[in-house]
Amino acid sequence: MIKTHFLSENDIVCGYLLQGHADSGEYGYDIVCAAVSVLAINTVNSLEQLALVQPQVVSDDENGGYLKVTLSQADAKKPAAQLLLNSFELGIRSIIDNYQEYITIED
Amino acid sequence: MLMNLQFFSHHKGGGSTSNGRDSKAKRLGAKRADGQTVTSGSILYRQRGTHIYPGMNVKIGGDDTLFATSAGVVKFERKGRNKRQVSVYPTAE
Repeated sequence: MIKTHFLSENDIVCGYLLQGHADSGEYGYDIVCAAVSVLAINTVNSLEQLALVQPQVVSDDENGGYLKVTLSQADAKKPAAQLLLNSFELGIRSIIDNYQEYITIED
Repeated sequence: MLMNLQFFSHHKGGGSTSNGRDSKAKRLGAKRADGQTVTSGSILYRQRGTHIYPGMNVKIGGDDTLFATSAGVVKFERKGRNKRQVSVYPTAE
């Protein structure tokens, strides 16, 4: 089960934390893991290369299953950054609509 | 960040499968090359069954291993239509 936390300050989304493994299939066939991985990693890369902000990224590359991405207040306020973070949240919520046994949002 | 599609998936060891057993590699096959000089008793070829047959100055052990019975040069040769053998030809002293 992947646990998702959306991090916000003063009602502005400024990051996200993902923990755990989807376990929706064997290694290499875990489609929920693949979907969440793409969303989460692509958002990091988009923040850096498209929104030109510098998120702080903490990830467990050895074992996977842990990714924390945070932006400074100034960067988080940028429209492009907000668009990407909201798009990421939309994507996660859409996955949860159909695969809630593998991923949740924690407050 | 590297796009790892299995970032949130358990690694290989995660799931339990009925596979995952294998015997130790026995490192069979040729132990000396064609044209190589060997001493008496040198192991030439490890095999199960007679993939290669013993030729001149070569004997077969209990586990089908082929070994030289005299010093000389190794030769892998044809044996009949579709078989192969290995021989050791003493070098002229």
